[in-house]
Amino acid sequence: MRAPLTIAGVELRRFLRDRSNIFFVFLFPLLLVLILGAQFGGDGTQGRVVVVGDASSLRTELVAALEDDGVTVTSAGADEATEQVARGRVDAALVVPASAAAAFDDGAEVTLEVVPAAQQGARLAVQQVRTAAAAVATGQGQVRALTQAGLDEAAAQDALAAASTEMAPPTLAVVDVDEVAQEFAGLGQFDLGAAGQTLLFVFLISAAGSATLIQSRRLGVMNRVLAAPVSTGQALAGQALGRFVIALFQGAYIMLTTALLFDVDWGNIALSLLVLAAFAAVAAGAAMVIGAVMDNDGAASGLGVGLGLVLAALGGCMVPLEVFPDTLQTIAHVTPHAWAYDAFALIQRHDGTLAEIAPQLGVLAAMALALLALGTWALRRSMARAL
Amino acid sequence: MTVSDLRQRLRDRSVLLYGLVVPLALMVVFDLTLGDQEVELEPLTVAVAAPEGDVLADAVVTVLGDLGDLDVTVEEVSADAASARVADGEAGLAVIVPAGFTDAVTAGEGPVVEVVEGDGTGLEGDVVLSVLDAVLDQLAAGALTAAAGAEAGLPAEVVASLGQAALASAPVLTLEEGEAANEQLSASGALVAGQAGLFLLFTVGFGVLGLVAERETGTMPRLRSMPMRPGLIVAAKALVSYLLGVGATAVLLTAGSVLFDVSFGSPVAVAALVLAAVAAATSLMFVIARVARTAEQANAVQSIFALVLGLTGGAFFPLSATGLAGQLLDVNPVAALTRGLGITSGGGGLADLGVPVLTMLGFAVVCVVLARLVPDRGEAR
Repeated sequence: MRAPLTIAGVELRRFLRDRSNIFFVFLFPLLLVLILGAQFGGDGTQGRVVVVGDASSLRTELVAALEDDGVTVTSAGADEATEQVARGRVDAALVVPASAAAAFDDGAEVTLEVVPAAQQGARLAVQQVRTAAAAVATGQGQVRALTQAGLDEAAAQDALAAASTEMAPPTLAVVDVDEVAQEFAGLGQFDLGAAGQTLLFVFLISAAGSATLIQSRRLGVMNRVLAAPVSTGQALAGQALGRFVIALFQGAYIMLTTALLFDVDWGNIALSLLVLAAFAAVAAGAAMVIGAVMDNDGAASGLGVGLGLVLAALGGCMVPLEVFPDTLQTIAHVTPHAWAYDAFALIQRHDGTLAEIAPQLGVLAAMALALLALGTWALRRSMARAL
Repeated sequence: MTVSDLRQRLRDRSVLLYGLVVPLALMVVFDLTLGDQEVELEPLTVAVAAPEGDVLADAVVTVLGDLGDLDVTVEEVSADAASARVADGEAGLAVIVPAGFTDAVTAGEGPVVEVVEGDGTGLEGDVVLSVLDAVLDQLAAGALTAAAGAEAGLPAEVVASLGQAALASAPVLTLEEGEAANEQLSASGALVAGQAGLFLLFTVGFGVLGLVAERETGTMPRLRSMPMRPGLIVAAKALVSYLLGVGATAVLLTAGSVLFDVSFGSPVAVAALVLAAVAAATSLMFVIARVARTAEQANAVQSIFALVLGLTGGAFFPLSATGLAGQLLDVNPVAALTRGLGITSGGGGLADLGVPVLTMLGFAVVCVVLARLVPDRGEAR
């Protein structure tokens, strides 16, 4: 057993010595998790509205009403706002011209302009602007009705404030039976991204690392190892173990840092690590196969990166699996990513037990065994091949 | 020299792999996962349960039936049936108004209107919720005004009419919808553009980064000993990069537009964008060629640049940022290419492409200057 462990240790040390790997292994995954979390985290359905116009009481009230509704409000000049709408960086622009602000202060009719963008959230943003405008108008109406009844404005405001502490307004209680929404309920901002990114990088780093196998074959390292009192089986086990340790190291690193930095909840940590280990074994097997079948290291890392990205996209690591159309969800399960994704989802969101994730673990283990067997066999044959 | 290099590169399968196969495969997968995202609101069926003869509850139902942008079919059912219809998928949304609603609102008891959201009613459901918010707000306003009047000691007959008066004297705020130019690609279009931009950064490496490989294998001095100006060697490598980049991007954009039914607009304008984008990408490779000591390092640095620029340029998902972050993102050639294609797809011509083309050319100039300034770490020592 010592020989394989030594070989695996050497592989890991070589991997960590490569300075470009520092970026890919340590920094890039966190960058992705951060960006994904910032994009999709929290409540992403609320609109973004840019408000144009000088400061006025009307503008202030509209912004307050929009923000009450959970809308993200920014302000910009007219030209900049138009550009932001055209580019879809906001859902709508609300223009509050000086004439409207003056009319509002005088109690006359007010005309505002809303410019929707050409994208999904735009219609909702327009409705949210309407709701905000209605709220502003209603608030004004309340004060006016009281002043017309003989109160002065300050007294009217005070009376309204006092009444609002005693009167409970009618409220909406929303129950969501949407399966996708329920599935994501209770997930932290970065949780979804972190699980997907972990799988993406474990596989990607592993597959791209298959190039080192080809190099060691070309440089005759493998032959020299075999010249030492080490059997072919031990040498191959060492290579496989090396790949596995690298994949496991990468995954554990992402899990640890996302838990510490982004407060990602990995559920039952022992089970999560078990899923990671099964997936890392699959990734190691894939790397062995690529490294044994191909003879050009450049093309091998190209294929590894390409395969890593495509399988990750198909397996739900870039766009969540739950939002896939049904047929595609089925197709997605040809990838190990989808099975591991399901297992993580069970552990993270439903407190899944070992028994519940057993099917996923079983499939991953079967995939790993098949790939490792194929990789070992191919590597054994490739040693007889001249490079 | 260029021709022989090109022939060599095209024989090398990794160009095809990085330049065409992988990005196309990713485009297909992404497009499948995205499905079709419609901008227009879909019609929605709302099951409403409202107590008989309740004035304010009727007001809620009336508003739901007439929403302007959104085509809503209102089905009046019993409270138990409403949720069941959502569960069966017969209705997208159920609204359940409690018994005694009017009295509860007037007395300020805070009645709760229940809404059950069904599968896939995301955006349309949110629109209805926003409308309901506005309606309840109005209903509460009348009651609140009356209560405030009583609080301030106004006579009872005045208080009784205050609720009506509050709604009647609310100022009229009219919203007019303006039109903005559409400079956006559809979700599929943005991904095609982003992926083409990302992999362009890989493809152009096959020419310029060849300089590093030539240095490493020792063929560089031999090339230099040939009877021609050394500048020609660099020029030839740059030309290889440029031709590969233009070729791959053209194929990707064409294939993408055919496969995913995306229109990028005027071919002339698109060609200008592609030429500028490839110039920016090729010039970046010169910086990498100077910085990298070995071919392996060059490839690693190139991948880092490509992935960071691709990611922040919206190759995997659209990023939205405003302010300083937005301006930083705008400098990115991948983002500029995507933006330019957005403008052309919206019907823009060469004249409208000033900003993205200048951005990319500016990026190219800065890179060329940088490549001159940074110390060459790859010289034989």
